[in-house]
Parts: sequence; structure tokens; C-alpha cells
Amino acid sequence: MQVRLFALSTCPYCRMAKRFLDDGSVQYELTEVDSLDGQEKDDAIAEVREISGGASFPVIVVGDEVIVGFNKKRIKELLDL
Amino acid sequence: MSAAFPRRRFPEGTTVEDLRSYMEPFVRQLGYRFNDDEEFVAEVLGSEIEILDSAGDVYCPCRVRSGNPKEDLKIVCPCIPFYADQFAKLQKCWCGLFVRTDVEDGSELHGVIEVPEGPADVPVALADEFPPGTLRTVRLGKRDVALARVGDEFFALGNVCRHAFGPLGQGFLDGHTAVCPWHGWRYDVRDGTTDHPGADVATYPTSVRDGYVFITV
Repeated sequence: MQVRLFALSTCPYCRMAKRFLDDGSVQYELTEVDSLDGQEKDDAIAEVREISGGASFPVIVVGDEVIVGFNKKRIKELLDL
Repeated sequence: MSAAFPRRRFPEGTTVEDLRSYMEPFVRQLGYRFNDDEEFVAEVLGSEIEILDSAGDVYCPCRVRSGNPKEDLKIVCPCIPFYADQFAKLQKCWCGLFVRTDVEDGSELHGVIEVPEGPADVPVALADEFPPGTLRTVRLGKRDVALARVGDEFFALGNVCRHAFGPLGQGFLDGHTAVCPWHGWRYDVRDGTTDHPGADVATYPTSVRDGYVFITV
């Protein structure tokens, strides 16, 4: 199952989400939105808005499911951790 | 280039402790306190100091700035008034830096961000600091509400006068009547009625618990 994490480098919940996925040895694609520049950054923000309906982080995508925020219980369920 | 709207600026060298002592009395008025997880609070405020140094204000570390200064004001910490209805249901702000004063252990709320359905009791003021005869505008997420105290009773009504859209909360009280500051239109704070046909304003239920005034929306 493809897992993506959209994060901000400044956001404590994003750091928690990273640690949690790393500890569970989950492979995921990380997009650190505020570390991008110019068009890449605009594109990433547009994608987050489309996926999550907002610009609040972290946004975790597991297959077709979207989790906004570090909802540990929901991540565990979806990834069978 | 300076912005054409008010912005709070913090001096260079502002510390986590400075932010703490600046924010604490403000959020207490709104019915919030710092999260009980001290380490987490230090981490969030530490991120805010980094953002202050790079972006000029203490923007939320968990949300992205749009680049539109007027929009971005709504994510300057503490942002509680701009999301008061959502946060009242979540019992915390987005980051969890602040939790409602009636939450027992704020560290248990980490990560929860789905806003429950249904009405919310939004804390808006400390009852003791809102004396009888006071009329004031309070921000409730996307809307402004005029809050009045007559004797020991609190009344909440739409803030916008139906005559010329004056801010009722900036007017004055005459008994149970809120008088618009612009042209003196009068509204009964108990039911929002006015003597101008078809120009009544909405009212909202209020309650007082643990020293706080709540408006139900």
C-alpha cells in the first residue's frame, strides 16, 4: 500500500508522525512542503488542499484514505500496525 | 515595506518563556490554558520562535502561510478567536498548544483533529471580568457576536445592525436594549427584536460555568 506524508518542518505533530512511521518500519514518501521553493512548493500546497480540503498538517495518505492530523489510532488501523 | 494593518511584533531575542508569559493571560480570558505536556509546549513554542525569526511573526507551526498577510493573520498564535467554534468542540487548538480549561489532561488530546458534529459551547469571556451593563463584540470563528450582561444574565445576539451594518457590540446598553453606535437602532438583547419590521437579529443561547461565559453555536 502506498503511503505518503505531507509535512511541515516546523510542526511537532509532523515530527511525531514521522517517528511513528519510522518506528513501525513503514515505507513512505515524504513531502516537506515548507522546505520546497517556488513552483514546487505551490504545487505541493495545491495538492494538499485538494486531498485534505485545507492547509493544515500533517496529511497522511494511505492508499485511498486521507488522514488529516496525527491520528495514531487511525494510522494504526489502516496500516495494521 | 510596512503592512497596512496592525501586527504584533516581538523583539529580537524573544524566548519561549517570553511567549509563554505573553500568551497565558490572553488565552485564559478565552477559556484555554497551555497543554499539560510541558515538553510538547516547549517544542511548539520553540518552532514558533524559529518561524518568528524567519517570517516575522509567531505563525502556527502546523499550518502553511498563504502569502496573503490578511489571511495569514488568522494563523498567528494564539489563533483561538478565529476558530473558536471548531476548537471548542476539539477542546484544544489545532496544534494542541492550548487546551480548554475544563480538560483534565491535555496530553491525552494529542493528534485529535476531527471536529465532532453538533453544537458547541464556546467559552468567550471570564464572567467576573464582564461586569453588568457591559456590551462587547466577541469573535466566534467566522462570525462576530455581541455579548451583553444585564444584571447576572448574559445575552448573545448577532453583531451586525440591520440598518447600516453597524457593530452592535460596540454600542451601549440601555436596560435590556442594545443601542447601535452608528444611528441608535435599538435591539432587545433577550430576543433580538427591534421596532423596525423585518430587521430583527439572531440570538444565541448562553450559559455560565466555572467562571466562564459560554455561547452555544
